[in-house]
Amino acid sequence: MSPHAVTLRGALPYALAIALGAVFLYAGIDKVRDPLHFADSINGFAILPYALIDVLALALPVYEIICAGLILLPPTRRVGSLALLLASAMFFFALLSALLRGLTLDCGCFGNSAPSRPRMWAELGLDALLVSGTAGLYFHSLFKPSRASRADT
Amino acid sequence: MTIVRNDERFENMGLASASIRMNSTSAASKTRIGLRIARDLGWVLVMAISSAILGLAINRVSSKPLPLGYQDPQQRLDAELTALIASPPLKPDPAQTITLAEFRSAVESGSALIIDARSSVFFQQGHVPGALNLARDNFAADYHRLSPKLKGMEDKPTLVYCAGGYCHDSRMVAGALMTLGFSEVRVFTGGWEEWSAAKLPVSTEMTP
Repeated sequence: MSPHAVTLRGALPYALAIALGAVFLYAGIDKVRDPLHFADSINGFAILPYALIDVLALALPVYEIICAGLILLPPTRRVGSLALLLASAMFFFALLSALLRGLTLDCGCFGNSAPSRPRMWAELGLDALLVSGTAGLYFHSLFKPSRASRADT
Repeated sequence: MTIVRNDERFENMGLASASIRMNSTSAASKTRIGLRIARDLGWVLVMAISSAILGLAINRVSSKPLPLGYQDPQQRLDAELTALIASPPLKPDPAQTITLAEFRSAVESGSALIIDARSSVFFQQGHVPGALNLARDNFAADYHRLSPKLKGMEDKPTLVYCAGGYCHDSRMVAGALMTLGFSEVRVFTGGWEEWSAAKLPVSTEMTP
């Protein structure tokens, strides 16, 4: 394998982490700025009881921002990517269930927009990409040999 | 022959012990991975709880806090209407709907009151010429602001629109206007989406 290929393979997780971190940072900041709209978006999914909607609307954006920060730092990347993997999977299944139930809503994932089913399908595709990216990053970090074990070999 | 047989036996024993070693290494590796995943999940749980606490704390110091105990948009609008008319609002029948052609004709002739029910952010970006911004999410304040223009217009045809076909804001605002005594209220369900897709005139002028 050429040294360039090795460098490229090594750089890929960093590039992926930066891209995912930027996406979740943007999404989190956007939701923090307008929690009422995000609460209305959560309500549109008709999944959660009213008692939990406000708590989720306040917690989820902070969670996204914290995880976006963690994923950028190599020592915390593994936990950050697992946290974002679980969040992306949750978004994916919530959106899929809304589409299958015939709902038309603004998912509130990336800012305010008019409720639209084509947009929901596009956001489902984006969620699938986020699930794949975070899963790839998590399993890469999980199975990566530690420095100690590499020194033994 | 015996020596050969012994060699084979030793060789087989060596392979078996290597296989046992490999199996135990593989089992240890699986356990290690399992423990890592369990530890990671524990950290995720800690982060989720911390995020909830931090989110609630940020909301307490926010200039526009989210009131705990969620109310949906219709409940919030009903609360604002109750404050406006000083009694619980009646539930009128849903307003009739109109097509783009009918809406366009009314806009061009200036024969109707045009109401944009979207939030002010979207209204500022572009709206139907001559429309007044009576946003669902800021209804009472907008109604007070527009009351000099709305006074005496209760019998005039009033056409309400919002973002597009699936938005509910136009229907909610239409219902609120009917509760407030407007008798000729119609909803343009195609909304801003259909108007702008038809490349019809757009205004960015703000109403006072």
